[in-house]
Amino acid sequence: MPAQELSEAGKYLAGAFGVFLVLLLIYIAIMASKLSRMERELGELGELAERRPPRAADDPAAGGERDETAGDEREPVSAPRSSRETVK
Amino acid sequence: MTSSTNSSSRGSDSYGRGLPFLAAAACVVLTAGFGLAVFYAPSDLDQGLIQKIFYLHVPLAIVTLGGFVAGGVFAIGHLRTGDRRWDVRSYVSIHLSLVLGVAVLLTGAIWARASWGIWWEWKEPTLVSFLVVFLLYATYQPLRFSIEDPERQGRYASVFAITAGAFVPLNFMAVRMAEPLIHPRVFAAADSGLEGSMWLTFLVCLTGMALLFVTLWKYEMASKHAAQQLRALRRALAGEESRAESRSAAPSVS
Repeated sequence: MPAQELSEAGKYLAGAFGVFLVLLLIYIAIMASKLSRMERELGELGELAERRPPRAADDPAAGGERDETAGDEREPVSAPRSSRETVK
Repeated sequence: MTSSTNSSSRGSDSYGRGLPFLAAAACVVLTAGFGLAVFYAPSDLDQGLIQKIFYLHVPLAIVTLGGFVAGGVFAIGHLRTGDRRWDVRSYVSIHLSLVLGVAVLLTGAIWARASWGIWWEWKEPTLVSFLVVFLLYATYQPLRFSIEDPERQGRYASVFAITAGAFVPLNFMAVRMAEPLIHPRVFAAADSGLEGSMWLTFLVCLTGMALLFVTLWKYEMASKHAAQQLRALRRALAGEESRAESRSAAPSVS
């Protein structure tokens, strides 16, 4: 193959692989921006959690003694519904 | 936290699990494939060096069409079970296939220009049929966005994904039966004209591309689940009225 033809083909070949690489990088950049947005939101939520007043049950200094009869609100949040029904 | 949210978080863990290994494998196999294409596979007698685009363009096209079909299969899961996580899987498959579809069209146009001297040929069934499939799926996101109710949006999108997913293999078969104008039919006959080294290189590239697709799919799924959990956390901390959900084409599992 003549050198000129080879360089012409090489340009197209590099162009095709370059297009693929650029698209992949654009995709990764978009995903990275989403990730940084999530990181920012997580920071905001952390601040929100810090500003939140402590619940009476969690803070004995605030006068909150555990009330054994208080019911569902103190229950672990992930407790399955069936366990609540059998405890009645 | 409800039991459904618990299962959602378990799902997120599973999407993220193994992702670094998968990403490394995709990177290694794809690099090896492209290395084989450049340094090992012989140049085609007819097209010369430019034929090496084949090792990029064809695996991309196969994985893209496979992703569209996978989107349809996931949509069947959504309609059967009503579980919106299937809808998210279908959405991510189709979304990724659309991105790769752009690469298929562009690399195909570059190959056409180098090989035939034209960027596009409207009389060639292979090119036009792929464009038709691509444009069909390009309407998927606007369809989702046009429906506000998330339940209806997911249902209609699943019906679309199944119908369009069934259209993909039918379209492929129709093109194989049609008379080609200029586009080669490499795998049309038992004797494909590919040497053993070309086959090996092609299979490595195809495996690498499939691994890349699965990696990006898992990455986007993990990202969507993380975003979903963040929204749930925000609602729990700041109350339901803290932030109004904006209208979106992307499904959520809440």
